[in-house]
Amino acid sequence: MEDTRYFHNIIIMPPRDLIYARLGYRRGKTKVDDRQKEEIERAIEQAQSFMELKGAAKRIRIEKITSSEVVLAQGITFDSRQLSSMLKDSNEALLMAATAGNRIMQAIKVESDSGNLTRAVILDAVASETTDKVLDWISSFYKQELVRQGLNLTSRRYSAGYGDLDLKHQKTIYDTLGLNRLGVKITDSYILIPEKSVTAIAGIRQAA
Amino acid sequence: MDAKKRILSIIEKRVLILDGATGTELQRRGMPQGACPEQWCMENQGIIKSIHKDYMMAGSDVVYTCTFGANRVKLSQYDSFNIQATNRKLAELARDAVGENMLIAGDIGPTGRFVQPFGDLEFEEAVDIFKEQVKGLLEGSVDLFIIETQMDIQEARAALIAVKETCDKFTMVTMTYEEGGRTLNGTDPVSALVTLESLGADAVGCNCSTGPEGMIPYIEAMKPHASVPLVAKPNAGMPRLVNNKTVFDMKPETFASFGRAFLKAGVNILGGCCGTRPGHIKSLTGVLDGKRPRPPRKKAISALSSARKSVILGIGSPLVIIGERINPTGKKDLQKELIKGKTTIVLGLAREQEEKGASLLDINVGMPDIDEAETLKRVIYALSPLISSPLVIDSSSIEAIETALRIYPGRAMVNSISGETHKIERLLPLAKKYGAMFILLPLTDKELPATSRRRKEIIKDILGRAQEIGVDKSDIVVDGLTMTVSASPGSAKETLETIRWCTRSQKLLTVVGLSNISFGLPQRKWVNSAFLAMAIHSGLSMAIANPSSTELMAIKMASDVLTQRDKDASLFISYFATSDQSSGQKPVAKEEASPAQNVYMSVLEGNREGIIDHLDKAIAAGMDAYKLVNEIMIPAIMEVGDMFDRKEYFLPQLIASAEAMKKGFEHLKPLLEELTSQEKGTIVLATVKGDIHDIGKNIVALMLRNHGFKVIDLGKDVAKEEIIKAIKKYNPLVVGLSALMTTTMVNMRDVIELARRHGLNCKFIVGGAVVTRAYADSIGAVYAKDAVEAARVAERLSS
Repeated sequence: MEDTRYFHNIIIMPPRDLIYARLGYRRGKTKVDDRQKEEIERAIEQAQSFMELKGAAKRIRIEKITSSEVVLAQGITFDSRQLSSMLKDSNEALLMAATAGNRIMQAIKVESDSGNLTRAVILDAVASETTDKVLDWISSFYKQELVRQGLNLTSRRYSAGYGDLDLKHQKTIYDTLGLNRLGVKITDSYILIPEKSVTAIAGIRQAA
Repeated sequence: MDAKKRILSIIEKRVLILDGATGTELQRRGMPQGACPEQWCMENQGIIKSIHKDYMMAGSDVVYTCTFGANRVKLSQYDSFNIQATNRKLAELARDAVGENMLIAGDIGPTGRFVQPFGDLEFEEAVDIFKEQVKGLLEGSVDLFIIETQMDIQEARAALIAVKETCDKFTMVTMTYEEGGRTLNGTDPVSALVTLESLGADAVGCNCSTGPEGMIPYIEAMKPHASVPLVAKPNAGMPRLVNNKTVFDMKPETFASFGRAFLKAGVNILGGCCGTRPGHIKSLTGVLDGKRPRPPRKKAISALSSARKSVILGIGSPLVIIGERINPTGKKDLQKELIKGKTTIVLGLAREQEEKGASLLDINVGMPDIDEAETLKRVIYALSPLISSPLVIDSSSIEAIETALRIYPGRAMVNSISGETHKIERLLPLAKKYGAMFILLPLTDKELPATSRRRKEIIKDILGRAQEIGVDKSDIVVDGLTMTVSASPGSAKETLETIRWCTRSQKLLTVVGLSNISFGLPQRKWVNSAFLAMAIHSGLSMAIANPSSTELMAIKMASDVLTQRDKDASLFISYFATSDQSSGQKPVAKEEASPAQNVYMSVLEGNREGIIDHLDKAIAAGMDAYKLVNEIMIPAIMEVGDMFDRKEYFLPQLIASAEAMKKGFEHLKPLLEELTSQEKGTIVLATVKGDIHDIGKNIVALMLRNHGFKVIDLGKDVAKEEIIKAIKKYNPLVVGLSALMTTTMVNMRDVIELARRHGLNCKFIVGGAVVTRAYADSIGAVYAKDAVEAARVAERLSS
């Protein structure tokens, strides 16, 4: 089992298509004039300046998979049929996490509290979509290494709280990756703070 | 023949052919999954030797040693290795396989860690790690080096410096670009080229991550700017998933067919990466046989780069503004911050200057009682991940400049190198070593020349000294030496003449420190602006100035048009179009519309800045405040809701309209006493216990207030007991509950059950990303999918 890798200062351009879609934009239907577009773009740039994108990841050997349970090395266990199904051909699991940091949440609060909800909602959308992109970034990083080892990553990944992977497993991932080192906390109801933080599990399997 | 000369001689006549993949080829030939390739090769020497030989037979001019991961970081996860000996041995195996006539490239791959400021690996440690490998490979008699599959420009720099500080071998550096044309760290091909070529790479290019088709545009992008050969080593197409297995299935003939397109794009050195086999190289060799590649540029370009952006400089290009504001002189807060080791103000100044149009940023941290080298390093590390503009290192400390140039993850410019003896002797070689551009300051130990005649002589002298050590004119920007006209009335003329001479006769780039010209005069901005226009006319390339000065930037944009630097005035038009919008000058509502129509449009278009003015005009025109609210503003916000439902509006527009409505309503409140006392009812809102998401709830609150409801917002993570308390206190018409998580959504049921046990019969509206209509029904609540629906439901429940 490798040590957890921490990634600091991750640089990702805010994914504009996804941000606009998250805000309800529909190509061909939603009409935005130049003034409105300028306001939105400025808020996106402002969000970018507040985000401090960080990530963590760890490869862990899969010891046992049943139809409803995945057991990793050191007894780390996830009970989920859907996760078991996704990892059935995998020899290792890749646990990953991403956070946009505290400053963006503070900025959203400041805008929200001072009545600039328009800007707050855009900052919120940018932070959500970009944090997800960090998981893509981590996946790309690992794919580069894995291809030379004759391995690949599952195209899907699972996050705690989705499907039948109970949110309680977020604590397992939090502890395994040592996310406190990224300045992330976890509440009693397994919510990560800062809010724009996510975890996920993917599988590592033989390439060919 | 020396390997370097041999390589360059081949490239003159034809494409230099590299080998194909080693990793995927080892897997095909039996290397088990998870094995350490370097160890396995030493235990199975026959196989790696046969791979090298097969590539040689296929037509490769160069084979790579199997040392991609042979550094102490990567090998530490396996058994303990003697790094130097391992590299030497694997190089010897390659030589043994292919003989003395083949070229062998010592392969240096990434460590898997990112180097400061992009990661936690210290720069000097990275250099040491790579030097260990380099020494071993040299002992194994490699002919050249390849630093490959780099995703971190700083790591690539560390590896290149490690090679260059150890030997003089031909060194290629290839980066790996994701879909979207940037490395994982955000570096684009041209920025990488500018950085690596200036640092001494003998060839630059790309490998892996994509097939040939995806890689050709990167070569095309680099070619116009490259004065070194370009390298490409694509994969055998994009990998496909077949029965959950990764397969590179591009056939050799198909792979080779891209050879011509690569040639046209400008490649000089070509091979294959993951998935390619000897057959691919053989086909490629056949396609390229006898074809002459396009040579690199004869003259290097003048360019600077950061990790994420390059700025190409040229006589006749639009004037480049170097932002001057990161300078502690006269800035007490900045001084305090630098002494404390913080960088918040620096970051703010950098962002602001970038936003205002500075293409480069001058960084000066010189002040008494500060470790300038350490502070400069800290500032560069703070800026580099977050700021795109390349930096100009402004210091009189040679040690600080050296530190900065070594760790700056791009190509910087030094401000400045003068004719003073100690500077020439020490700074010129540093600029040469790190490939930095520099500002040439035409003064000597003995004089600050007042005349352009004398400045020209000094410039020629320094230029000569620079060219003696191999510095090119394209690396130099001459400072016209701006002196204050209040003390030296003729000085502007002398500076302008110096600029003219440098531009027209010497083809040298020029710069001025603009604000020096007006020191001591009142209304300095006009003197600065006038001087700038004259200097641009004289050929000035760059100005160190404050980009926040609107007059200066306007003069710059206009002068660029008049001197045909901004050929179709597109930059000028775009600049003023953007400035008008951000200063809110563009009217939203048509001036010829009636006051009432303007109020309507202000709500409809979310014109928060203009609505007060339009309301005042409407009131002044005799409109009744109640009618404005009931007949103009409320219908407008209803129309906004309908447009949102039809997806003609999306969330930012909905909220902007709601905020305009709120602002307008607040402005009219003093005139609307009767109306405000007739609020439709009270609504209590809360995000349930355990949940901290509240932005959706805040939007609902805004919409409800706009519809005339009194809203009591209890916030987020609210216990059910608190909600019950609030219901008893405020007797609301409706209670709105929000939750974003499946685990917290269940608390909604608890709240409603507790309310019923207390005999409270108020209605509940529920919403949030995970909430569904079915769930709402099951707990006895009404569902609202968004803020617009929440307002409609509340209206219905109140009537």
